[in-house]
Amino acid sequence: MSSALLSVEGLQVRLPTTAGLVTVVDGVDFEVERGQVFGLAGESGSGKTISVLALLGLLPDGAQVEGTAMFEGKDLLRLGRRSLLDIRGREIGMVFQDPQTSLHPMMTIERQLTEHVRYHLGLNHAQARARAMELLAEVRIPDPAGALGAYPHQFSGGMRQRIAIAIALACRPRLLIADEPTTALDVTVQAGILRLLDGLRRQSGLSVIMITHDLGVMSSIADWLTVMYAGRVVESGPTPEVLSRPRHPYTAALLAALPHPEAVEDTPLISISGTPPSPQARPGGCAFHPRCAYAVDACKTDVPDLLEVGDRRRLACPVDPLMVPA
Amino acid sequence: MSLLELRDVEVEYRRAGRTPVRAVAGASLTVDAGQVVGLVGETGCGKSTLARAAVGLQATTAGSVWFEGRPVHALGRRARSRTDSRLQMVFQNPFSSLNPRRRVGDQIADAMDILGLAPARERRGRVADLLEKVGLPRSAAQRFPHQYSGGQRQRIAIARALAAEPSVIVLDEPLSSLDASAQAQVANLLKRLARELRVGLLLISHDLAIVRHIADVVAVMYLGLVVETAPTRRLWTAPLHPYTEALIEAIPRADGSGWLPEALPGEVPDPARPPAGCRFHPRCPYAFDRCYSESPPLADIVDGRSVACWLHERGGAERPPSRFARLTRTRDSGVGDQVHRV
Repeated sequence: MSSALLSVEGLQVRLPTTAGLVTVVDGVDFEVERGQVFGLAGESGSGKTISVLALLGLLPDGAQVEGTAMFEGKDLLRLGRRSLLDIRGREIGMVFQDPQTSLHPMMTIERQLTEHVRYHLGLNHAQARARAMELLAEVRIPDPAGALGAYPHQFSGGMRQRIAIAIALACRPRLLIADEPTTALDVTVQAGILRLLDGLRRQSGLSVIMITHDLGVMSSIADWLTVMYAGRVVESGPTPEVLSRPRHPYTAALLAALPHPEAVEDTPLISISGTPPSPQARPGGCAFHPRCAYAVDACKTDVPDLLEVGDRRRLACPVDPLMVPA
Repeated sequence: MSLLELRDVEVEYRRAGRTPVRAVAGASLTVDAGQVVGLVGETGCGKSTLARAAVGLQATTAGSVWFEGRPVHALGRRARSRTDSRLQMVFQNPFSSLNPRRRVGDQIADAMDILGLAPARERRGRVADLLEKVGLPRSAAQRFPHQYSGGQRQRIAIARALAAEPSVIVLDEPLSSLDASAQAQVANLLKRLARELRVGLLLISHDLAIVRHIADVVAVMYLGLVVETAPTRRLWTAPLHPYTEALIEAIPRADGSGWLPEALPGEVPDPARPPAGCRFHPRCPYAFDRCYSESPPLADIVDGRSVACWLHERGGAERPPSRFARLTRTRDSGVGDQVHRV
């Protein structure tokens, strides 16, 4: 408990819409250990991105956030604007999905890389420049000196994402939040980014919150996997166990929907019927029940709690139809 | 003769004051009735340009495109030829390819109206049939695109393409903007349509795993050239081109094994200045003398397999390059550091 770098409890987020406040994240608990890659999986609209934006105070005006998020003895959700400014970019770095839009197109790489080391760490021009070169080398940009004077459009998508990672790491944060960092990239480039992140956390003990819907990416890099559905955590545990023996019907269905490289030819993918509910129209009880093959009457009315089910795993499904007796 | 045939197609983009880019540098491909052909490759390899050239949305600078025995001409000021209407296209993003202000049914009925495929009184029924065929309720015709999710919109776009009674549909990344569960649904739908309606599909995708599931034949593109074509399973179990092998090894597997996918060293070179010899040689772990100077032609190897690689000789045995190669490729994803190892 005390070893966790980040400990989130009872996180609830309500966002303003034209139809009033809508609960997007509904009671999420998780812990991120030091040096761990923590995976947050789920389809679009499941609340995974909103959860981390809430931690950073980056939600739109009018959003209501409840719960606690202890990071290094401070509750991120109770900090003022000023203190959050000191934490964002310095203690917590963030990498977004699309480096095309997250980098400023009209600023040189040097300016984007040195801006916050000068702000947060008070480095002078020469020190900041040296630091920037060091960072570019760390994320394996060829010719760091030349890259400093270049603009984002002069780099490929993979290179741009490496630069975005360098920026996020500039102040040596303890936690890196990566929101779908490889989704916009080709698999060959994705593999390079995954290897880079894996190396960084091994070398520097960096903790990473990895947000992605891609369970293949989770399998290769995440130590811990938390699966979200309709604003709640439905299952969590060590990644190898969750992926090899999923317990929640939703996790199992997501895995079955994936084209498996070694699958038998001409077998249709097992798709999940229906579509994920929008936050405005989430079903009562277990939000997954209308799409669940194992649902019983109680699923329609009772919201299942996320409970320990042994082996450090947690599950929000009282039916637990996929449990394999030991 | 195949329904759709691309012969040595070249597409060059001219740029004012700069070297022109040959986005497609002589690619050949065929699609037969009821066949699903997957076209895969990284961003910038020219696969979307080739798709656009296949339907006449992009003029070719050399080579030719044949559809149902007639040449396909690039779209100009005149209306597209009526015979070409049996060659349809579905685009990547169903949020922009559908008209947000017109009812779903009206958009689907357009093709029937323009081509005179159904008298006005029958159209409504036909539209509903098509919606049903793609797995949507018949009542969907009365609604607007914004009332549907991404996966459902892509179904609408497919229904709209089907309305013209096509024999071939070219689909440019039809699944990449969809969530996992919607992706599986649409993937299954495409395969079913090809089987039931005998429509030939040319499926452009960067996602090999999904192509593996739908396609009967896969063509792999690298830097404007088709470097390998093979029946899907053969390609998967025994890739012949080193690039195909690298692509397959880069796919992460959701099996919980913790296996980190292999990164392909280096970057895709600038298509305006492609490397001499084999275009893949600077990133290829097997490259030898000949690869630096001579460009390998796409040659038939065995039973429907062809590959453009000097490692393979015409009529030779299927010898996947794999296994020992993993030893030569470093574990790390160094960029650039292994590229110039000549």
